[in-house]
Amino acid sequence: MRLLLVLLLATPLYSQDGGPAHADWPHYGGTHLSWRYSALDQINTTNVKNLVPAWIFQTGDYAENLHSTPIVVDGVMYLISARAQVTALDAASGRVIWQYRYPTPRSGIPGSHSDFIQNRGVAVGDGKVFFGTKDNFVVALDQKTGHEAWKVSVDDPRQCGCNITAAPLVVKDKVIVGGNGGDQAHRGYLTAFYTKNGRFAWRWYVVPGPGEKGNETWKGDSWRFGGGSPWLTGSFDPDLNLVYWGTGNAAADFYDGDRVAPGVNKTQDVNLYTASVVALDADTGKLRWYYQEIPDDVWDFDSSYEVLLMDRQIRGQTRKILVHMNKSGLTFVLDRVTGEYLGSFNVPELFNWITGVTENGKLVGRHEPELGETRSFCPSAAGAKSWNSMAYSPRTGFIYTPTNEICTDVTPNANKPEEGRFFMNGNFPMKLPPNRTTYSHVDAWDPVTGKRIWSMPYKFVLLSSMLATAGDLVFTGDPEGNFFALDARTGNKIWSFQTGAGHRGSAISYSVNGKQYIAATSGWHQTVVGGAAAALFPNENFRLGSTLVVFALPEGSR
Amino acid sequence: MKSVFLFLFIFIPVLAGGQNLTDVLKQGEDVFNKTCATGYCHGAQGAGGGAPRVSARGFDQTFINNTVTRGIPNTAMPPFTNALSRADLIAVVAYVAKLNGIANPTIAAGGGRDGLLEPPTVLSGDDARGRSLFFDAVRSFGRCSTCHELNGIGIPVAAPIAAVPASVAALKTLETPRVSTATVGGESMPALVLSNKSQAVLFYDLMTTPPVLRTEAPAAVQIRDGSNWRHSSATGSYNEAELVSILAYLRAAVKP
Repeated sequence: MRLLLVLLLATPLYSQDGGPAHADWPHYGGTHLSWRYSALDQINTTNVKNLVPAWIFQTGDYAENLHSTPIVVDGVMYLISARAQVTALDAASGRVIWQYRYPTPRSGIPGSHSDFIQNRGVAVGDGKVFFGTKDNFVVALDQKTGHEAWKVSVDDPRQCGCNITAAPLVVKDKVIVGGNGGDQAHRGYLTAFYTKNGRFAWRWYVVPGPGEKGNETWKGDSWRFGGGSPWLTGSFDPDLNLVYWGTGNAAADFYDGDRVAPGVNKTQDVNLYTASVVALDADTGKLRWYYQEIPDDVWDFDSSYEVLLMDRQIRGQTRKILVHMNKSGLTFVLDRVTGEYLGSFNVPELFNWITGVTENGKLVGRHEPELGETRSFCPSAAGAKSWNSMAYSPRTGFIYTPTNEICTDVTPNANKPEEGRFFMNGNFPMKLPPNRTTYSHVDAWDPVTGKRIWSMPYKFVLLSSMLATAGDLVFTGDPEGNFFALDARTGNKIWSFQTGAGHRGSAISYSVNGKQYIAATSGWHQTVVGGAAAALFPNENFRLGSTLVVFALPEGSR
Repeated sequence: MKSVFLFLFIFIPVLAGGQNLTDVLKQGEDVFNKTCATGYCHGAQGAGGGAPRVSARGFDQTFINNTVTRGIPNTAMPPFTNALSRADLIAVVAYVAKLNGIANPTIAAGGGRDGLLEPPTVLSGDDARGRSLFFDAVRSFGRCSTCHELNGIGIPVAAPIAAVPASVAALKTLETPRVSTATVGGESMPALVLSNKSQAVLFYDLMTTPPVLRTEAPAAVQIRDGSNWRHSSATGSYNEAELVSILAYLRAAVKP
């Protein structure tokens, strides 16, 4: 405690320089603190009704979707499409500066034309544009020309069942990338390469090997295929030199008989370091601290989601905190210096997997899948929130998050792992809960009080990231193709535009020559959670596509 | 259309290997539950989920064979030719056929245009141990498959293995005449040059593992023959006994 007092700085409430994105949108989460918040306020609650398209970019990659978060640096936008085609655009006009097409892997290798195809974004730094691929390479392009600079294989997807869909994170002289594969028989990890030449810097395994602390939390040799893949993008605190990442669920997902010894205390430290938030030394990748949110995750509620770093007043003291939600919708507030639990709040309206959380963050009343039975759970493995990100506004102090009220019937099995093959050990069809007419909502929550401030219901599901701006606006899109703005303080919808295809990616804001733009990714995804959504609403035809629609105020109306 | 198809593929009954149909269907159901029913896909008994229902759809055998082996382009349905073993592939196709009321399931086999369903190499004892070591994920980038592709797994940095060294000593002292030395920005590194053209020089930087495929402007890089790189620097994660097993595997797996 004394240590903490020493570390407390006189940071004014809500004023963290590294948090807001300003003219640029340099990072997947806006900045390294992952707020998805722009300090631009030219577009505000009064004039947003005048917003019109400034330019539109058709990626031409109509594989299925547009998942990514565009990056803007010095007036140039870098956008990646589902098949890893990267385009540099003049962010004011939409003029194409260069285009790069990642060669399509041959049939049978992940990433070929007939495979799941998706990409969530690039990272830009050190004069290069970085991205991961479905056949599991990290690629660096020259930022000026789009020519390939280096390319390195992270693992063979034909063996590990793993691949990369996340945007990498550039931290100082390294690019750090997480991977998918936690639902295959695989052992997850983060890998860092030097931005300059692609050489290997460090790897951190989510699941510790023999002789390493935490390995004893795995039954037998289940650690070999223990999952935990950190499949999204982390955050970075330059003052603490710590990288924060959420880790995936333990594998197998729905059956723990082969990975958890009988009689184990499930209140903490089961199958480390899955379903956790971890803080790693940015230079070495060494674990500094961890907080396991779901010891023995048997619901596929993996904790891989974004980590928001902010400084807030808690019980009269300014604390360096992080806010983190996993798929269950249970949202944790931790001290990001030490990993100390400060509080939690539960975002979905429907939940039955636990009955509650103790004062010190322990799960109470676990309701688990049972071999030989089919049991019903809310939320579902599709997530109270999908992988798309929440946003945080330092002006209101609220986080903004899309929440889905979807349940599932889980029938587990006790299959044995086979390297790189599906290892979820359960069937889990999604279902709509009874007696509701709306199945999702956008909420504003105060992470310090854990109170919901407002909630805007929506009839289908919401699978697109949130964008908050200093104009006190919150933007997101829905599967019907509407891209809309809410008043950040009230949740009132004050503007909407039909973009032609459902929203599954992430909108951003930036400015060029003093003019603010809002860029929206239009392009539904009819796979995985998007596919589940299609099955839940069979009468709807959510449209696929791959189009960036960029909005601005007309001249004279600013 | 059908005659074209028959021209490309040979059909064999699933029971040709003397297996019991009930066992094959049970295996198929296991594979289906593990691979196809899970996640956001076809659901138990093919009842549908995130992906379409595949039971009682009236699918014929040809359609099932093609779809499972090749996938459906531009959808989430991947090809399973390389993802499943031959036995699992036969079993799961038979199971989906059963779900569609087909009594005597068959599967396309043989070479075919895409080289489908090559019979697997049967390994035992030291060979199998060597195989596990060659691809051992626990060794991270310290395994052989970081630079060698064999039987469709591994990163093909090196040329395909054409000859198996006679002994562990020979494996360690292997001549690597293709490795040269590249100098970029004053730094020299062992390099495996793939192409050296007027537009760009493409080479693997072997300074660290995994090798990095680098592209440099010709003016920015100098290449000279020879290097101080040794194959023994890449075998350090294995002890003598393990390398003996790996050689046993290579003798079984490498086709001259």
